[in-house]
Amino acid sequence: MTMSAPTTQALPAIRLSNVCKSYGDYPVLKNIDASVARGEVVVICGPSGSGKSTLIRTINRLEEINSGSIVFNGQDIHAAMPPKQLNLLRSSIGFVFQSFNLFPHLSVVENVSMSPIRVKGVAPDVAYDKALKLLDRVGLAEKAKAYPAQLSGGQQQRVAIARALAMEPPVMLFDEPTSALDPEMVGEVLAVMKSLAAEGMTMLCVTHEMGFARDVADRIWFIDAGEILEAALPEEFFKAPRHPRAQRFLADLRH
Amino acid sequence: MITDMLNIISNYWLLLLVGQYPNGQLGGLANTLILSALSIALAFPISILFALARLSKWRLLRWPVTGLVYITRGVPLLMLVLWSYFLVPLLTGADVPSFVTMLTTLIVYQGAFLSEVVRGGIAALGPGQMEAAKALGHSYLGAMRFIILPQALYNMIPSIISTFVSTIKDTTIGYVINVPDLTFAASQVNNQLLTQPFQVFLILAVVYYAICWSLTQVANVIERRITRRRAGVTRGAATATLAPSKILSEQP
Amino acid sequence: MTGFDLSAILKDPTAIAMLLHGVEMTFAIFAGSWLLAMALAITLLSIRFSPFRFGGPIVAAYVSYHRNVPTLVQLMLWYFGIFTLLPNGLTAWLSAHNAETIFAIIGLGLCQAAYFSEDLRSGLRSVRSGQMEAATALGHGYLSAMRFVILPQGVRNALPPLINHSVSLFKNSSLAIIIGAPELTHAVKEIENLSFRTFEIYLIGTALYLFFSLLIMGAGAYLSLRADPARSARA
Repeated sequence: MTMSAPTTQALPAIRLSNVCKSYGDYPVLKNIDASVARGEVVVICGPSGSGKSTLIRTINRLEEINSGSIVFNGQDIHAAMPPKQLNLLRSSIGFVFQSFNLFPHLSVVENVSMSPIRVKGVAPDVAYDKALKLLDRVGLAEKAKAYPAQLSGGQQQRVAIARALAMEPPVMLFDEPTSALDPEMVGEVLAVMKSLAAEGMTMLCVTHEMGFARDVADRIWFIDAGEILEAALPEEFFKAPRHPRAQRFLADLRH
Repeated sequence: MITDMLNIISNYWLLLLVGQYPNGQLGGLANTLILSALSIALAFPISILFALARLSKWRLLRWPVTGLVYITRGVPLLMLVLWSYFLVPLLTGADVPSFVTMLTTLIVYQGAFLSEVVRGGIAALGPGQMEAAKALGHSYLGAMRFIILPQALYNMIPSIISTFVSTIKDTTIGYVINVPDLTFAASQVNNQLLTQPFQVFLILAVVYYAICWSLTQVANVIERRITRRRAGVTRGAATATLAPSKILSEQP
Repeated sequence: MTGFDLSAILKDPTAIAMLLHGVEMTFAIFAGSWLLAMALAITLLSIRFSPFRFGGPIVAAYVSYHRNVPTLVQLMLWYFGIFTLLPNGLTAWLSAHNAETIFAIIGLGLCQAAYFSEDLRSGLRSVRSGQMEAATALGHGYLSAMRFVILPQGVRNALPPLINHSVSLFKNSSLAIIIGAPELTHAVKEIENLSFRTFEIYLIGTALYLFFSLLIMGAGAYLSLRADPARSARA
């Protein structure tokens, strides 16, 4: 892990400019301006209801925005475009949900291989082999034939990560991936995420796991009331948060 | 009383079973079952199209189907049968057998009804499945085909069977346009006997009961199996998935 | 057939009188069978929950019969069958007092009671067991817990299917035409025979049914909304 914050690298992987979003009169995101460099791991934290989940969901357009732009690989994700192009864009941004959202009617290996086959047109046997390798990677090779219902929450979330990786995305987004898990299962999921980070995957994670943030993140975005109040290196953020609300947030966490 | 009923059955069982066949047209129980099976088999694919139309973002698709659903929910089937009896020959210009008229009516009626079940089944899956599919790059129709519909339709199997039961019961309404089915055959028997109406109609009730009860049992067994298979998938949510079928269960 | 002309019917006082009478009778059948069904449903439910050992199976058999035999066949059995088995005095009295309508009310009411009682039962069953425990822990007796905690929730849960089945009952009142009750569909058929304006009178009949069905649905939706504490608190 490098601690040099690569903010000034030539072409950021994701660039958010003046992103605004509101539900009716209620603003959820206010003028978000930020970027994620290639290979960077960003952890987004903040109190509940701060807009962090909404923010990460706008990046692959599961949520629409009212104004601003989100550019990924030189393409504005929120520009008007034919559905096919949006699907292609989405398939290159991996997304991991809090509630896993595995497909319950498919076996584990089918969950991982189905989208490469149906969306990218990969040959079934190739996709299948690839899926088995990915399952091995998240430590679930022996569960390939099982159905999601037969897995624990932690195992399901690891399958969900493998499923997202199967599309070979250059970027992975995690929306509170461990919040729905029993405490003893959090570790196995974080371990997979750590190994991904170590391999240089560009990652954006909304999480309450401050240990993970401290050890793995290159940068922390602290968000409250729809604004990024602080974007800092982890050691700065945890030792000496500048914004009073960040200070209070960290103080509350320690209790 | 019991002897009367046994006598009626031994004298008229063939008429009740197949109507005038092979000397005249097929009728009786055989026709009731054929009519019901054809109706449900054709209403099922139509219901999926209706449901997709109702979920569509285009008003041009959504509104007519919504209107149709409300008409079938708010207007008696008997009235719709009268409409078909009047309109189908007028539109096709042909002398249409009452069987076809009834079949047409039931397909539209049950198609609209089942489309609500499909829609409920899709809604019961929650937004997570569609979001996950989108995040993986599936198109709307691709997500429907590979992820949403396989689950929703599997959960719907008990509802389809109970709709089949409803359809069997609905076919009796063909009586008003003289569809040669079981009810029609029974009333023919009654017209020949004249003296034992209670016995004749009790036999009729018992036959319908036996068929509908058996099918309902099958639906219940399958429903339990599906619930068991899904148990643990989303805990608790599995029962929610199956709930709409009960709420929607129509009673003819 | 001459051109489409609704006014040919709407300006004909005889037709209007027939229609109004049809609507009136349809409502008499609907209201009568609804009340009968609800009273019976509550009775059935009480028997089912009573300590009487055979209560459960008897009610289950009642429900099973009425749900698995087509409503039309039930009506036929009542009017063409049971009617003929009654003592002569009663038959004569019924014949003099609109027997068709009375049997429509009895047949539809008895059938519908099976659906209503099941709706109420599943409504009550969907109240979580923790509610009864909580009420008991607070010192409520069985009846008090039922009255103040279980029933209010159970009835609220039962409202949507009860409303759906009330609409079904309203629609099913048209089946009474088969036994000759002078209700709305009957009136529509008669006006058709008199005027030969099939399209127009069917349209009027359909619109009337649709209007009243939507009215019942709307009233039901309003009731459900009122009964939902979360929503009424917000409103």
